[in-house]
Amino acid sequence: MLSRALRALAPRTTVHAHCDIPCGVYDPAQARIEAESCYKIIQKYQDSKDELFRARCIHVKEERAELTKHHIDVMWHDYFKPEHVEKFPDLHEVCWKASKQASQVKRTVDIEEAQKLLDMIDKIDMMWRETGGPASTRMQASA
Amino acid sequence: MLRRLVGMFGAALFLALGSAAIIGRLGRSWESRVAVEGHSMEPTLFPGDWLLVDPDAYARHTPRVGELVVARDPRDVTRVIVKRVIALLGDDRVTLAGDHPAHAADAVTVGAVAREGLLGRPWFRYWPDGRIGPVR
Repeated sequence: MLSRALRALAPRTTVHAHCDIPCGVYDPAQARIEAESCYKIIQKYQDSKDELFRARCIHVKEERAELTKHHIDVMWHDYFKPEHVEKFPDLHEVCWKASKQASQVKRTVDIEEAQKLLDMIDKIDMMWRETGGPASTRMQASA
Repeated sequence: MLRRLVGMFGAALFLALGSAAIIGRLGRSWESRVAVEGHSMEPTLFPGDWLLVDPDAYARHTPRVGELVVARDPRDVTRVIVKRVIALLGDDRVTLAGDHPAHAADAVTVGAVAREGLLGRPWFRYWPDGRIGPVR
């Protein structure tokens, strides 16, 4: 009787509150490589007269820009800590603008916009290096 | 006299509308009830907690820092997670994190979740019987 009542009261949806396991490996180079791809693809797009090739360029650039945004977001949300914001008070603004710039690159074929994105990622890279950099968040190559 | 009558009528109308809203919210929340699994929200929520979730919360207001939310997992949209809002990103996305002390130390976050990924706000624990009450 009780178990029947409980079954009727039981939720049908499970919400997960599992612990997320941070691997602790971070490097803005991931974002930089995807952003460089965007830059080079825009160059190739501008240099080509082949419409099919140009269409493929747009498609691949959009994918790369989305990946750039993802990697910027990982640095912003997972790597940077409150003490890093104390050291660089404009950290949130830099990451936010870089993330937005990745969206901008996704929708244009303006090489200047791609360059701006690279410059913003370099700022994030500088903050990463000043707060630990490769020594704290990358594995060292085995000899 | 007339004034008093109008006042009483107003109060009755207010009460009726108020209770209708509460009953409506209860009904909607009952339809959206969930069970918690996992430890990342301790000591606020424990595995096995059953919660009422207001599915209209974010149609009424924007999410606020510190609120509990039920959301689609940005890493796997077939999964539903329960976390807390720790930051508003200004572009219609929020950052979520667990409550567990080990998480606070790591500042581990789930990542950015778009506002349309927020499914509702848990507000009441109705089981187990020893811990029935509002959750925040």
